[in-house]
Amino acid sequence: MRCFPLSPLHTLLLAASIAVVPQVLAAPPLVKIEIRDHLFYPSNVKIPANTKVKLVVINRDPTAEEFESYELNREKIIPGGATSVIFIGPLPPGEYPFFGEFFPRTAQGKVIAE
Amino acid sequence: MLLSTLIIVLREILEAALVISLLLVFTRLRGIDARWVLYGLGAGMVGAVIYASQIARVSEMFEYTGQEITNASMQVAIFISLAILTVLICRPAPHRTRLVSILMALVVALAVAREGFEILLYLSGLMTKPELVTPLLLGTILGTGIGCSIGALFYYGLLNFSPRSGQTIALLLLALFGGNMLSQAAQMLIQADLLPAGATLWDSSRILPEDSLAGQLFYALIGYEATPTLMQLTAYLGGLGLLLALALPGIAIQRRQALQPE
Repeated sequence: MRCFPLSPLHTLLLAASIAVVPQVLAAPPLVKIEIRDHLFYPSNVKIPANTKVKLVVINRDPTAEEFESYELNREKIIPGGATSVIFIGPLPPGEYPFFGEFFPRTAQGKVIAE
Repeated sequence: MLLSTLIIVLREILEAALVISLLLVFTRLRGIDARWVLYGLGAGMVGAVIYASQIARVSEMFEYTGQEITNASMQVAIFISLAILTVLICRPAPHRTRLVSILMALVVALAVAREGFEILLYLSGLMTKPELVTPLLLGTILGTGIGCSIGALFYYGLLNFSPRSGQTIALLLLALFGGNMLSQAAQMLIQADLLPAGATLWDSSRILPEDSLAGQLFYALIGYEATPTLMQLTAYLGGLGLLLALALPGIAIQRRQALQPE
């Protein structure tokens, strides 16, 4: 006889959904960045300090770009003509430079947490 | 353009070159057929082309975190392969050489695919301009050449030691590489918001900037991060510790056998 009505998989799924609920309730603020002609718009991205933020990066160029930042510990390829998402933070107040690794001379910007 | 291409290609190739040279050292010490390298490289290049051609589709999967999940899966797969390899390599007699070869080819294929697809995307974007073709190709060749030279330096450097010391150092470097893979996988999952970010533990970017040549080398070699989070450090130390623990029993048996009179 089974004493426990839930299979291990169900228990796991239940636990996972409980763990996920608080995150869904407090959806992180959304900040948009566009890549055009190998430049970031805006190049200065203001975000609230100590808050997780969802960066939505839209690449309007036909070529791929790599969003990279040593200060933010982030690295992601944004395919040509595609939209992508990068989560950053929570960050203490300060400036965090980022650049497009494939076109580093022009594609520069910084995240300003305040 | 030549210099920036060289640096990008070198950065990507270093990691693969390093793990290939380490695995080749074990192959040499064990007297295993080294053909797995070619299979691994071939499969890795095919994988890189497929990944690069599907990148737009992959990126959109899992609510735009497909890239992170794919990369993290590849890094974890490399780590698991390295864990099994560590156990097999440390056994005293040649043991399961076929499985060893397959796992080594798998590690190489995954490492090459993961790094190669970035190089392909970088090149494909710029190759459309005819005036850039020469510097791009030259930068790629030079970057690949330098990366392979550093790998060769490692290989011959390690073989210069006595077989036992060489094996011990190579095992240690392999364990560091494994820790690095898990740390990078953790970072990918943080970026995809699947793991909590947490605060940065320290900032050593003034002492050793990540974008410096030494920083890049240490990044490829031991997974150096100037501003790591607790999650990354835990993954790193956990991976490193597990691989070292897996190596110990085999090494102990080897030692005992070496001490026994013939």
